[in-house]
Amino acid sequence: MTKEEILQKISQLIAGRFEVAPESITASTNIKSDLAADSIDLVEFVLELEDTFGGEIPDDDAEKLETVGDAVDYVFAHQTK
Amino acid sequence: MKIAVDAMGGDHAPEVVIRGVEQARDQWPDLEFILFGDLAKVKPLVQNSTRLTFVQADSQITNEDEPVKAVRTKKDSSMVMAAQAVKQGEAEALFSMGNTGALLATGIFIIGRIKGVERPALMPTLPTTDVTNVVNLLDAGANAESKASYLEQWAIMGSIYARDIRKIAQPRVGLLNNGTEFDKGDSLHQEVYQRLQANTALNFVGNIEAGNLLTNKADVIVTDGFTGNAVLKATEGMASLLMKQIKLALLNSGTRAKLGALMIKPALGQIKTKFSTSANGGAVLLGVNAPVIKTHGGSDEGAVVSTIGQIREMLQQQTIHQMIAFLKANPIK
Repeated sequence: MTKEEILQKISQLIAGRFEVAPESITASTNIKSDLAADSIDLVEFVLELEDTFGGEIPDDDAEKLETVGDAVDYVFAHQTK
Repeated sequence: MKIAVDAMGGDHAPEVVIRGVEQARDQWPDLEFILFGDLAKVKPLVQNSTRLTFVQADSQITNEDEPVKAVRTKKDSSMVMAAQAVKQGEAEALFSMGNTGALLATGIFIIGRIKGVERPALMPTLPTTDVTNVVNLLDAGANAESKASYLEQWAIMGSIYARDIRKIAQPRVGLLNNGTEFDKGDSLHQEVYQRLQANTALNFVGNIEAGNLLTNKADVIVTDGFTGNAVLKATEGMASLLMKQIKLALLNSGTRAKLGALMIKPALGQIKTKFSTSANGGAVLLGVNAPVIKTHGGSDEGAVVSTIGQIREMLQQQTIHQMIAFLKANPIK
């Protein structure tokens, strides 16, 4: 998948989970501050990334995913399916 | 109806779990069980494997494990595998006596939240001064921080539970607060009061002070998770202290008191039973997509049986489906 495709898919995930318009999500959207995600939201988001894109995201890596762009880059670099 | 069982959770697992599951299986012919655990330990304990399926789990989550990390890393543990079975539709409910925090994380992250429930809550059933009634308290500690919308969602779910499982047509819902007047409490509790009063689906009976938690003033009492946990622990601690003090007083007050103790022993036994987890079933994690129920880790097989009975009732009444449908039709923001 290209980065653009990954961004589109992640935007859809976020839109469903956080009830925001997909078009309002960009690579610079901050998951904690812009989406008001708490620790449970973050874990659920990481699990959803794993379910959607395959593979496992170690906790140390998950903690570094601050923006949507970070998540896109991570998925792009660790693509398994 | 098929229940996924974490056979390795609890202080006396897997012995107590197996004995309880077998008793429940014998009592309710419509139940089947999938037991997850170390089969080298589990299978020799089984008297009769009718309607029992066994699945090997190579690890278990202990009380020392950090809940979220354990759920994410111990994917071959009995609790996580049992939850996966529910997620995959192989079983309809999850029973465990293991690490409470891990079970909460398992329920939330694997089985998943009901759409429209922002945060699930832990709901035990407690005895009251009215011997014919009990009270459901939620949240008893699943959430350290709470928002007003969470408490309104919990009030709805607790009310549906009391209606379906306890057969109360219009359950009385109270809000735990530091006074009975409508304007008592901090801004969170004041807002929750207004919300509960305005919600026509609820039979809201107002604020309940902690001293009246167990005096049958309400069938369901909602509170933020921090307060709920503190109040529950204080109540359990006080009950334990009282029983110990009564015992000490009777044993240290001469022969006459000892004779008296002998005479009132059955009555004391009844009190102990009333406060025991066996009598009141387990604590339900309300707000996830299937019944997830936890029995105290130190309980006996009686608690396992009563909790499985509770799960069976929830499945028969389709309680979770009722909650899903209600919150879909009446979203609470």
